[in-house]
Amino acid sequence: MTKNKSKWDKIIIGAGLYGLYAAKLCGERGERVLVLEWEKSPFQRATYINQARVHMGYHYPRSYATAIKSAHYFNRFIKDYDFCIHSAFDQVYATSDSFSWTNREQFVQFCQAAEIPCDELMPDKYFKKGLCDGAYLTKEYTYDAGILGQFFVDALVGMKNVEINYGVRLQQIDKGPDSYVLTLESGAVLETGFLLNATYGSTNQILSLAGYEPFKIKYELCEIILCQPQDKLREVGITVMDGPFFSVMPFGKTGYHSLTSVTFTPHVSSFDSLPKFNCQAKSWGYCSPEQLGNCNDCVAKPQSAWPYMSNMAKKYLKAEYGFSYEGSLYSMKPILKASEVDDSRPTVVRKVSEKPTFVSVLSGKINTVYDLDEVLKND
Amino acid sequence: MTRQQEKKVTVRDKEKNFVSAVIYIYNDEERIRDFLEKINAVLSANFESYQIICVNDASDDNSLAVIREIGKSISGTVINVVNMSFYQGVELAMNAGIDLSIGDFVFEFDNMVMDYEAELMMYVYDRSLTGFDIVNAAPKKCGRKTSRLFYAVFNRYSRSPHPLRTENFRVLSRRAINRVHSMSKTIPYRKAVYANCGLKIDTIEYDNDRSCTKGYDKETRYQRKEMASDSLILFTNVAYKMTLLAAVFMMVATFGIGIYTLVSYVTEDVVSGYTSMMLVIVFGFFGVFVILAVIIKYLSMLMELVFSKQKYTIESVETISE
Repeated sequence: MTKNKSKWDKIIIGAGLYGLYAAKLCGERGERVLVLEWEKSPFQRATYINQARVHMGYHYPRSYATAIKSAHYFNRFIKDYDFCIHSAFDQVYATSDSFSWTNREQFVQFCQAAEIPCDELMPDKYFKKGLCDGAYLTKEYTYDAGILGQFFVDALVGMKNVEINYGVRLQQIDKGPDSYVLTLESGAVLETGFLLNATYGSTNQILSLAGYEPFKIKYELCEIILCQPQDKLREVGITVMDGPFFSVMPFGKTGYHSLTSVTFTPHVSSFDSLPKFNCQAKSWGYCSPEQLGNCNDCVAKPQSAWPYMSNMAKKYLKAEYGFSYEGSLYSMKPILKASEVDDSRPTVVRKVSEKPTFVSVLSGKINTVYDLDEVLKND
Repeated sequence: MTRQQEKKVTVRDKEKNFVSAVIYIYNDEERIRDFLEKINAVLSANFESYQIICVNDASDDNSLAVIREIGKSISGTVINVVNMSFYQGVELAMNAGIDLSIGDFVFEFDNMVMDYEAELMMYVYDRSLTGFDIVNAAPKKCGRKTSRLFYAVFNRYSRSPHPLRTENFRVLSRRAINRVHSMSKTIPYRKAVYANCGLKIDTIEYDNDRSCTKGYDKETRYQRKEMASDSLILFTNVAYKMTLLAAVFMMVATFGIGIYTLVSYVTEDVVSGYTSMMLVIVFGFFGVFVILAVIIKYLSMLMELVFSKQKYTIESVETISE
């Protein structure tokens, strides 16, 4: 471990994509950077456990701002990280005939306005009759978190000025006159003039540890189902929108598909500032509102919603686009309360203090990682 | 239904089929708890996976709060609520609930009056497995005179192969739901569309406990009257027949007056100008009634082509868990 009381130019909490991206960027400039991670390896939570979608903006027909920004970053992301991108499949979006907040005409109009490609298909090719009023072939890819994580680890290993500590238990954050002092359970004391909170589900936990006002978020314990696609589905990704529907699409380069549904992916919600769930009482102290454990390693993780999600997909999809269950991944998802109506997913970069600097970043999308450039530049 | 049947139901293995129960709720706060608990007990005992969709038709009382409370006490994400934006009546509201359901089989509960044993649900379900896409559960005795009158007129004038009657709940296969949706874009009166969908239908009668009958409030009574007249116009030819008959009768009558005018011109001594004036009038009216008959025919054809009813408007959809 680190020597007692070590000084760093930047300390980053969380070894997900945002944390390691920031570490690489600053490391390349020669700064001394330390990354602190609770887990034993990087990319264990939100970066890995999501639909692995590189968003082009189709997902946000009710928030042009989010859509246009996603589209803007899309090309940059697939150019920078092409080695982890899986693009050889047909990504199909469809608008459900009933219960959708957006219909066929509105979706086409939205794509034109956001200037993202969208070719209309016959819904009957994929869906049972009468269930979807429009289907579109779109340009959207998936990334492989495993490969992406390895790339960052390899890049950072080569830098003598950057260090990643795993299995870290943070105990205390104190603000000094010109630096933050972090105390770990191991007794180590760390000091830095720039602290970046790049955690996702734990973002308010870090903020409250440092004594700052939390983000206004609600939490959802989400389940992503991994499934084995049958032949016809193998090279197709399907997303039915915009409402209580589902998506089944390739999960990076793993060969599996991820299955999610708006109604059944979130298992339980918490509206408290710190994530408080009933299942935490059954976790034998592994997980608490102050420190989230990893749901996948937890004894109290929820039962899979596979019967629900698969039945919803079965209701819509033609029988030849079948799939079978492989496993479930669980993760904690914070959602900004303000974004419920327009379903937008803004990246929030909040600088709560300057000199010493404390920055918290919260974003639900992988390709908006470039939003960090701005805040990391001026120091 | 026999005792043996009931016993068989309680000891068998859980069904693999996914079922949805869609329940209509409108100002029913006293009934909800009991009803949901009973239904949940039957479903959880008999099915590996199921969902309960409560369609809250803009209730003014505490119905929604009661559902939320019960939802929290039931483990898993079993209960969903569809909140209608404003009161839209049982038909549109139930359509919304059915559109949201994902089950292979769907139970439809138009009301929460449980004048039967909860196990009847399984008897009805088992019946559908023997090859019926739609199975209705109907009380033997129907209390309301107006209902009986409506069904008598409806069944007399509709060409439906299955006569309609008062039903309490039913189970539908996914195939039946897909069929009725591909038949017509909107479904103003489910029972009539189901009866005409061409799939196998069965009805199970049960001895009902008439003490449970529920009174309707003013709004619901009005809605039911509207529904009844709409259905008679849409699904039976009673209105078409009556208006066409009237038009033809008037045509014949004017024609008769024309004949009489001509006859009296020859046989009687009439004032000059009377005959020509009468002939002009007769000719004009005859033309009007012919045109009316054609228009009625046109209208009835148009109505058969499109049901002009709007689809439902929903406010929100929520999943409730512990």
